Amino acid sequence: MSAPHATSAAASSSKRDARPIAFVSAQALRERMHDAVNDPHLRKSFRGAMDFLMAKRAAQFPDESELDSLRTLSEGIRQYSLSRLPDLLEQLEAKLTRNGVQVHWAADADEANAIMLGIARRHAAKTIVKGKSMVSEEIEFNHAMHDAGIDALESDMGEYIVQLAGEKPSHIIMPAIHKTKEQIATLFAEKVPGVSYTDNVDTLIQIGRQVLREKFEQADIGLSGVNFAVAETGTLCLVENEGNGRMCTTVPRVHMAITGIEKVVEKLEHVAPLYSILTRSATGQAISTYFNLISGPRKPGEKDGPEEVHLILLDNGRSQAYADEQLRKTLQCIRCGACMNHCPVYTRIGGLAYGTTYPGPIGKIISPHLMGLEQTHLLPTVSTLCGACGEVCPVKIPIPELLVRLRGEAQSKPHDNPVMVGQGAGYSALASFVWRTWARIYARPGNYRMFSWLASRFRALTPSRQSGWTAARTPLTPAPRRLRDMVRDRQ
Amino acid sequence: MSSRDEIIEAVRGTLGSNRANAATVRRDADALLEELTAIRPDLLADDLVEAFIARLVTPKVAATAERIADASELPAAVARYLEARGLPTAIALQPAAVLQALDWSGFELHDRVAPDETLAVGFARWGIAETGSLVFHSDAETPILANFLPLHHLVMVRASTVLAYLDDYAAATAGQRPPRNVNIITGASGTTDIEGSLVLGAHGPRYLHVVILDESAEPRALQS
Ligand code: SF4
Repeated sequence: MSAPHATSAAASSSKRDARPIAFVSAQALRERMHDAVNDPHLRKSFRGAMDFLMAKRAAQFPDESELDSLRTLSEGIRQYSLSRLPDLLEQLEAKLTRNGVQVHWAADADEANAIMLGIARRHAAKTIVKGKSMVSEEIEFNHAMHDAGIDALESDMGEYIVQLAGEKPSHIIMPAIHKTKEQIATLFAEKVPGVSYTDNVDTLIQIGRQVLREKFEQADIGLSGVNFAVAETGTLCLVENEGNGRMCTTVPRVHMAITGIEKVVEKLEHVAPLYSILTRSATGQAISTYFNLISGPRKPGEKDGPEEVHLILLDNGRSQAYADEQLRKTLQCIRCGACMNHCPVYTRIGGLAYGTTYPGPIGKIISPHLMGLEQTHLLPTVSTLCGACGEVCPVKIPIPELLVRLRGEAQSKPHDNPVMVGQGAGYSALASFVWRTWARIYARPGNYRMFSWLASRFRALTPSRQSGWTAARTPLTPAPRRLRDMVRDRQ
Repeated sequence: MSSRDEIIEAVRGTLGSNRANAATVRRDADALLEELTAIRPDLLADDLVEAFIARLVTPKVAATAERIADASELPAAVARYLEARGLPTAIALQPAAVLQALDWSGFELHDRVAPDETLAVGFARWGIAETGSLVFHSDAETPILANFLPLHHLVMVRASTVLAYLDDYAAATAGQRPPRNVNIITGASGTTDIEGSLVLGAHGPRYLHVVILDESAEPRALQS
């Protein structure tokens, strides 16, 4: 392959273009952010929750140098795994198949949904009970099943609440963090039969437990995500605190797991440190309550476990990120959410304003690959580039650096050999003209002197409204006297 | 071309000449693990079992623990637990041979765990001192639903199978064909999904009690 970048990008784009995933337009993105910032309620709940998560994470890492060693190690393991990705994927497939797991590959969301719908149809499934899976959100699985007349029910407490409310998760670890307990109490009273209003958190969770217990028993299929897939043994690892995930993967007759192709690691010994830094970075726990390693369907003589296990390996733009050495680092992510918790923008606007499945810093660097830059070219600009995300990332993804790179990809002039689908989608001939002219002026002292002389001379002519710039800032006006003139006077 | 081949070719094609040879790969993989041993956190005590227990009873893990010197003492320990909490003597018992061999007279046993089971007694293969975790393997004798459904989960684990770190478990089982399901459990089921407040007993057990079978416990008890 002479031009691997273009090949893989073109290959995935032809399939992906067919299906625009629901996304807020640039205009809507601005409006949503505006609304979020002006919602004191929302800001308070996010501020509180993020402070809480930040403090808990900090308590897990009292020693800076130890943290740094662990981050370096985790980065190393992820990079090592990615450097062997094709081999590990083949090994994973072979070992899972040996263990009796059926492995499927999906280039995009449509294919993944079609595969899972096929499995559901074969079992005449009416209800699918779901453990937490961001990838299933990414492919809008619930919608696809709904259209086919199949109920897909969330069983993670947060996801369950969000689903009852007809909303989307606002945080990848704490999906319902944007809701107050009073809102949840009202929601339960309205939507759950036989439940009257109570804002006692303990009671609310007990109600959820009771409702969902029945659903586990009734469901035909359980769906889960995967945190790590171990190639050497053919094992799927799942991290959780509630215990709903292991119910989904044990009680129904069929278990379907879905994951991105980047989640594979070589061996269990490489999982241990990643698991440790994941829970510590995500929720400030030394370890999660449950860690399940699934290596196959029910064996002869066993009394529980699903009779059929399927794994769907999803590309959906990941191979595009993989093709570029710098962008490949995006795939190191272990989805801990720490970058979101520490992001000054995320903390203020919350997760819903972004309009993408993955919000916050990780969302800004992964969504352009999953959805193409046409729909996401503004996302990399929703950042102050303060660098907090890169500093806390447990696998040392240089997020700010990637944001700058993506801004470049989005705003450069469209060309023939793009690394990304939608390259140049944010290109503006006027903006580019302005910057080029500015560069010409700034690069030569003579030009700059002349420009600044003219500017201070004619400063009265500067418009008071400067389109987007003055929406939230004071207008740019040249000073009455240039610095060089002031300096000369003092000499 | 199938999606499978397309995906594998896309990632393989872009790696180009960067593919390392097998020897380098092995060296890199092992080097990663060497670093790991250097940065392990300290345990709560020098003695593994003591560290394990100390961790189990921290508020974060929120389990309770006791030691017995002989497996035959387990039914009495269970009876004490039930009595202290005023619970009925009808309990679910995992069909593990070590448990089935004991004298359970006075209890009403069943091996099928009901969705609203009050208490189940199970057997864990390993304990992890660093995190206070229990490791369960699924097989014909040890169905795993018993670990998920009851409100109270009582678990026996042998002191000799308590390991220091989770990575020791990974190392101890390396090269073996894994059981269908490995369940690593640390404390009671919980959620912080409503306003970040912790509620126990989300989808799994609300109470976890660990009984450590420590055949060396008796002489030690005599010394103290
Ligand atoms: S980018 Fe880093 S900090 Fe953000 S979710 Fe992924 S691993 Fe965590």
